[in-house]
Amino acid sequence: MPSNLGEFEQLVLLALLRLGKDGYGVTVRSELLDHAGRDVSLGTVYKTLLRLEAKGLVLAHVGEPTPARGGRRKKHYVVAARGRTALERSLAALRGMSRGLNPIWGAP
Amino acid sequence: MGGPMMSPIRWLGWLIPPAEREFILGDLLETYGSRPVALGWGIVRVGMALRLRRDPRLTTHVSPLTKRSDLVGTLLSDVRFALRQLARSPGFSLLAILTLALGIGATTAIYSVVSPVLFRPLPYPGAERIMTFWERGKDGSESNTGFATFLDVERMSASFESVAAISSWQPTLQGSGDPERLSGQRVTRGFFSVLGVRPALGRDFSAEENIRGKHFVVILSHGLWQRRFGADPSVLGRSVTFNGIGYTVVGVLPNSFESLLTPGAVLWAPLAYDTSLPWACRTCRHLRAIGRLKESVTPASAGRELDVISGRLVAEHPTDYPATGMRVVPLQDRLTREVGPALLAVLGAVALVLLIACANVSALLLGRAIQREGEFAIRGALGAAKSRVVRQLLTESVVLAILGGAGGIALAYWGVQGLAALAPPSLPRLSAIGIDGGVLLFTAALSVATGFAFGLVPAFATARPDLFAALRPGGRATGLRSRRFARATLVTGEIALALMLLFGAGLLMRSLHRLLSVNPGFDPAGLLTMEVQTTGPRYQEDPAIRGFFDRARDAVTQIPGVEHAGWTSQLPLGGNFDRYGVQIEGVVLANPANAPSADRYAVTPGYLEAMRIPVQRGRAITEADGTAAPKIVLINQTFAAVAWPNSNPIGARLQVGGPDRPWWTVVGIVGDVRHTSLDEKQAPQIYLPEAQWFSADDAMVLTARTHGDPAQLASAIRAAIRSVDATLPILRVATMEEVVSATAQQHRFAFVLFQVFAVVALLLAAAGIYGVLAGSVTERTRELGIRAALGASRNGLLALVLRQGLALTATGLALGALGSLLLSRFLQRLLFGVGSTDPLTFGWVVAVLMAVALIACWAPAWRATRVSPLEAIRGE
Repeated sequence: MPSNLGEFEQLVLLALLRLGKDGYGVTVRSELLDHAGRDVSLGTVYKTLLRLEAKGLVLAHVGEPTPARGGRRKKHYVVAARGRTALERSLAALRGMSRGLNPIWGAP
Repeated sequence: MGGPMMSPIRWLGWLIPPAEREFILGDLLETYGSRPVALGWGIVRVGMALRLRRDPRLTTHVSPLTKRSDLVGTLLSDVRFALRQLARSPGFSLLAILTLALGIGATTAIYSVVSPVLFRPLPYPGAERIMTFWERGKDGSESNTGFATFLDVERMSASFESVAAISSWQPTLQGSGDPERLSGQRVTRGFFSVLGVRPALGRDFSAEENIRGKHFVVILSHGLWQRRFGADPSVLGRSVTFNGIGYTVVGVLPNSFESLLTPGAVLWAPLAYDTSLPWACRTCRHLRAIGRLKESVTPASAGRELDVISGRLVAEHPTDYPATGMRVVPLQDRLTREVGPALLAVLGAVALVLLIACANVSALLLGRAIQREGEFAIRGALGAAKSRVVRQLLTESVVLAILGGAGGIALAYWGVQGLAALAPPSLPRLSAIGIDGGVLLFTAALSVATGFAFGLVPAFATARPDLFAALRPGGRATGLRSRRFARATLVTGEIALALMLLFGAGLLMRSLHRLLSVNPGFDPAGLLTMEVQTTGPRYQEDPAIRGFFDRARDAVTQIPGVEHAGWTSQLPLGGNFDRYGVQIEGVVLANPANAPSADRYAVTPGYLEAMRIPVQRGRAITEADGTAAPKIVLINQTFAAVAWPNSNPIGARLQVGGPDRPWWTVVGIVGDVRHTSLDEKQAPQIYLPEAQWFSADDAMVLTARTHGDPAQLASAIRAAIRSVDATLPILRVATMEEVVSATAQQHRFAFVLFQVFAVVALLLAAAGIYGVLAGSVTERTRELGIRAALGASRNGLLALVLRQGLALTATGLALGALGSLLLSRFLQRLLFGVGSTDPLTFGWVVAVLMAVALIACWAPAWRATRVSPLEAIRGE
């Protein structure tokens, strides 16, 4: 069983899930900004993506070159089955831990 | 994506691990598009984020998608590995780093002194176009120019954008505070445009202000403005009193301005000559001339043009010039001519020290390689290519060198202070000496180059694994011979280099000694000197000036402990000179400009006695030789020998300054005195009673002969002068011994540095010999043990090792002798009274080196005699 996910790893995996087939460095970063309000550098995103890849939690495949990228190809990432399992465990743990705390926070 | 942007991006791209490089660069381009700076910064940030991480999986895994080599990654891991290796043997690392710090630090310190003087352009815009130009003396020497000649050149020459003539000026600033004598220049209007400098405050001189009578305006240096005028901008337009005359301040120069033509000059006023003035003639050669070349003109072509102009002037005024032609010399060359040879010699010496340090560390690395033999053999067995091992070893050397360089910078910071204090006064740009960005860059480059220099030999000698031999227990015969040879070669080289340095230091020491034992023609011990300048409205007339100097001399003479005292217009070795053409009665010259020139001393009675300058024939100057008495002159023996080779000059008559001047009768011959420097050719000299010269000298130097230490009497003498007039500035109080010793400063500068370097070289070479022999004794323990078992005596073993060490030393000495011959030729200009191949010096130096080598050999040799046969064999 892989070790538990870090918070930023969870966010990146969630971003990849939202992006579907369109997940790569640039889109992951903007997804993090749009939905999590996290303005992180590309370097941070790659560090996490590469770690997830090395752990076997995401799968990578090479896409087509585009002119806007100076003729360079994209490396797309999708969440692997192991990644999905790990993410579900993490989210379940979060939900379990936060259940019943609503009165303290006041909302939702 | 434009082409010009692509190449820096490709280079920066190396920062990103190669497996991901294409995708990440693509993403960055997509994000930052046409903003190259943001793009470049983005690449650097991603590269750093991915490289400086703890998780090796991120960069060391080879992506299945691509396969590329990763230079940066290998380098980083090599550096990490190298640091671990160095930390593992701290003794070795510390020794190597210290040795390198010494070599690199010394080189950095010397470079920081030499670079602003010799290599960097002068601190003026377009400095390479600033020239000095000179008339030619009859022996081809460079001579100052007269004002009339300068005007003709200015009018006729087409080579220069602007030209200027300069004369020195030492006015006394009066008004608030103590009177202070300042150093300045009187300049023609083009001066600041030749240098390319504009006042930071106010303005340059106008054309009108160069006219006599309208020239009472002054431009201040930034430093003087701050110091004396509180940096008050309202000083512009204010009147300031110099020598009793009001000058209006019209400008203040920028803080960055460095006065190189007259170091220490702090104020400038118009020269304001016109050709009607008696001192503006063609033969009144006391002006320095500078010019800024037009863009397209070379110094050589300007020189040819001035030669043509000079030809025309000589044709028009044949009796005014001793020779035809003019010389154009770039200002930088001219400024560095005097100190250039010393600086280059010192730079060469420090390069030798660095080489020795490199050889030493090389030998250390070779020694260490033996311990690491197994490591490299295993790497080879696991498939490491030789080139990969060499790269690893070179990385270790460069890391060592960079650590050494860091230590070196610390040393250099400290060393530069000492150098500036030791520097000869003629060293230009003293203020620019220091550790700055350029020097740090030099040190960084030097460190990397040094790392390669000392790392290459050990790297190649080590990275040749013979797997079987190296891994065999107890066996380490691999490459031993080649490494032993390499170490021996290095040590031989060290000894050779050390010999060269020692020989240089020896020659310089002997020169300095010879120089200081030159008889200056006077007795410097027990002499005190100081300069007094008469200034202000009370001293407008000659009798007032002469009256002051007479009364002051009486007051000084009455001090107990003062034996004799006298005034002179020029102090020998004091840094100034006052040379006049002398016409001898009855000698008709085809060209009066070829009249012999002599140093002129206007002196009072008491001067010759105080200086102990011997009167060889005739009489000295006495109180009777007053203003109204017949004009008399003393000449030195060189003048007598040159001008009256076969007759008695006493009673002969001469004119001083020109054919229209009065006649002076020779009444005595005195000994020669060294005037400009101890190592210069003796010039003719004349002594006149000050009272008989046509005008009074307003600044004179007091020489007082004292019983005991002259410095003790300085305050009493000062008080005696103040008792006559307390308002006059007293300057340059120094014992004559200090004055003499200052003239040898340039020789001393080179000598002290050579001495330091030679000692360092000697120590390093000794450490090198010791290291090689100690290593060899360790390696040969078994052999020595067997020899001992077979009956070799202790003395025999001792001799065996000593022989080995001395053979190295002898080879090194032979090579060093050849090198010394080469090196000493570069020292020629710094030597005095000793040949560049002086056998006595050489013998001494060889003896010293031999002795040091013997001491270094002794400990390992002694250890060899202690090898127990039993242990040596059991060790297997």
